[in-house]
Amino acid sequence: MSDIQSKAEAQAPLLRIVRGSKVYGGLHAIDGVDFELRAGEIHALLGENGAGKSTLCKAIAGAITLTSGDYLIDGQKVTFTSPQEALRGGVAMVYQESSLVPSMTVAQNLELGMEKFLTIYSKINIAATQSLQSMNFNVDPLTLVENLGTAKRQMVEIVRAVRHSARIFIFDEPTASLTPEETQHLFHLLRTLKERGAGIIFISHALEEAIDIGDRVTVLRDGKLVSTAPAKGMTRDALVRMMIGRDISASHYATHGADPDAPKPQAKRGDKVLSVENVTMGSVVKNMSFSVFDGEVVGIFGLVGAGRSEIAQIICGARKRNFLRGGMIYLRGRPVRYRVPRQAVRDGIAYITEDRKVDGFFETMTVDQNIYLGYLSSPHVRRFFYSVREMKRIADQWIKVLSISALKRSLKIVEYSGGNQQKVVVAKSLAQEPTIVIFDEPTRGVDVSAIPQIHAAIRRLAADGKAVVVISSYLPEVLAISDRVLVARGGRIVEEMSRADATEDKIMYAAIH
Amino acid sequence: MPRGAEAARLRKPSQTMAVLAMCVVLIVVFSIGLNGFLTVGNLLALARNISILGILALGMAVVVIGRGLDLSQVASFAASTAIAIIIMNAGYPTGLAVLVGLVLAIVIGILNGFLISVVEMPPLLTTLASSLAVLGIIRTTAVQHYVVYLAKGHDDFLRIGGNLWNGVPVPILIFGAAAILLHLFLSRTVLGRSIYAHGDNPDAARLSGIATRPLTMMEYAISAGIGYVGGVVMIAETALMHLQVAESTLIFDVIMVVVLGGVSLVGGRGNVMSVLVGTLLIGVLLNGMTIMDMDVQTQNIIKGLVLLVAIVLDSYLHPRDEETSKQGD
Repeated sequence: MSDIQSKAEAQAPLLRIVRGSKVYGGLHAIDGVDFELRAGEIHALLGENGAGKSTLCKAIAGAITLTSGDYLIDGQKVTFTSPQEALRGGVAMVYQESSLVPSMTVAQNLELGMEKFLTIYSKINIAATQSLQSMNFNVDPLTLVENLGTAKRQMVEIVRAVRHSARIFIFDEPTASLTPEETQHLFHLLRTLKERGAGIIFISHALEEAIDIGDRVTVLRDGKLVSTAPAKGMTRDALVRMMIGRDISASHYATHGADPDAPKPQAKRGDKVLSVENVTMGSVVKNMSFSVFDGEVVGIFGLVGAGRSEIAQIICGARKRNFLRGGMIYLRGRPVRYRVPRQAVRDGIAYITEDRKVDGFFETMTVDQNIYLGYLSSPHVRRFFYSVREMKRIADQWIKVLSISALKRSLKIVEYSGGNQQKVVVAKSLAQEPTIVIFDEPTRGVDVSAIPQIHAAIRRLAADGKAVVVISSYLPEVLAISDRVLVARGGRIVEEMSRADATEDKIMYAAIH
Repeated sequence: MPRGAEAARLRKPSQTMAVLAMCVVLIVVFSIGLNGFLTVGNLLALARNISILGILALGMAVVVIGRGLDLSQVASFAASTAIAIIIMNAGYPTGLAVLVGLVLAIVIGILNGFLISVVEMPPLLTTLASSLAVLGIIRTTAVQHYVVYLAKGHDDFLRIGGNLWNGVPVPILIFGAAAILLHLFLSRTVLGRSIYAHGDNPDAARLSGIATRPLTMMEYAISAGIGYVGGVVMIAETALMHLQVAESTLIFDVIMVVVLGGVSLVGGRGNVMSVLVGTLLIGVLLNGMTIMDMDVQTQNIIKGLVLLVAIVLDSYLHPRDEETSKQGD
């Protein structure tokens, strides 16, 4: 830790990005960003999904290289081609998903990547204890990482980075899955690091948090840097205005009543179509119950690990080896238990995945082919021949309905933006004409301009009398489109609110406590 | 966005095109440098020599496009053609014998597909195990020694391995017909496109509602079925089935032809054209090396080098980066 600078020297920027740009398939993920991080500061990085926060951080952490622009550390130009190289250069990224090896002890994890030819356990254990104590972290070096909670894992990650003599730390939404106590503890850790002269980049969706912990705040929008300003004196409203910009009005994420143009909640709701009763599976879903009605949008909010995606995957048969430990699922009063998604699709249930890259689209195919294959996958469609004419007709129809900007129809889907990809995945499922649609994180990694279009499509489904479930970990989204809000915590639905009653505070309170 | 990407696509030829270019260069070089390469007799011999390999590769391609691998293809056709010969020798009609063999091959394929899709075993190990099992069972029950000879009196059947009027080998016609049929199946039918979807992203295919388990069984059944066609051509050419073919490196040649032409093991990529190009390259290479009278070891070294070049070419043409990489790459 010899190279950690004293506070006096901390005025010169520790890290600078000068006119940094990253181009993916012709699209600027970040565009001419000038970013600066000082030693001994916590720099909050804000922006909507797809604003370029992750891209900027990945570039800093060496996971990707900038298409153009300079990257300077201590005034020296550097180029990192891998995260390992960046770590050697003093840049450490603390990922949301821990990068520790769960089956190894804390001490072994700290030693990872620096092992000597012979590992002498007593030595590495003593070294680990010393490192942990020097940071005042109360973690036993002999515990297996899999037995640690999220907060303690973060401590181990931080200590590991410090041992690699990192001076620049990037935290990507570290508080997303923490309880308030754990969050306070993390903030304490960040302040400790800061006092040691490190520079910290802190990405968060929670604006108050950013104002609270940050010394300076940088806001990105559509890949461009909007402003960098001291956090002191910054307000939530000002930040929101910077994040969404003037051209998109507040109605974009309006809560009920805030905007007369927002879609009205359904006054009448139809029949109960789906009811989940006391479903229990594994350790994630415990005694979960809720119902879904025709013509309404049900929002399910919950933190990571609350069992929201899991229950959706159970309903539509997407989970493999999903033996229930009790509970029933009824579709229009009939008990159903799907083993494979095909059975759910046959009964008109569509599940739109939370991670389109993993199980959403077919990457070698074009937009048209993806949508047509979605249509053909339905058990109700019986075709032997693949008709290019029919493909064009169905694709045209959905491209229009969801305003997919498929300029070059011959391009593969991977070359499109996240928003268009998501729309195609939605079209793929809607082409099967489902009556119950479950959206899992419908706007994750979607460009800002596409979000209102996807939300409008969701509202339209409900207006057409379909039952819609939207699972989201983004509060404004849940508030903006739900007729009814359910809150999941610890594998249960703990709270049900009507649209009129739901507020951000109430939902968050139910999700955490 | 589209303009830059389009330009990038134009700049980078597909692996199939690159291998085709290698073929053309090789043919030109051999025509100029090798006496006796560019003669009608030699070209017909070349066509005959690549037919069986090409037919087998067509079947293998179906499985590889579906993100699988069928190591049991050769063992499967060796066993089923051996049974077909035994039935023919016993005096039953030729058609019936061939049909029984085909059914046997398809059953083996469906079993492979069942183990892979329902029991969820990895394709590599499943088909390795089934090839050993098939060979063991056939040797302990039907074929005492390695070789089964076709008895005299099946001249009609042997015409499958013969020549047509101007010396055109029938096997190359069968290869061509199989290629056309498979091309139509893969590109013009819903099942064919579903195989691509399955290989491209099995999870997405399953979630979309494609019946992936029956589809997997069908893929392996097609591989075994087309493999059997190759086996029938083989016995029609030689009037015997030598079971040691299942223990030879033939299966690796088949996989090499498939991968060489651009049917990536990642799945969902490549087509019948890729297989044709891969077959042509290997055929020309082997023919040229035989004319040059190279020994088998040198030939193997060159084959290995060609495969390595093709793989390096693939990773150069389709680099994996943060943006395009997926789990399982």
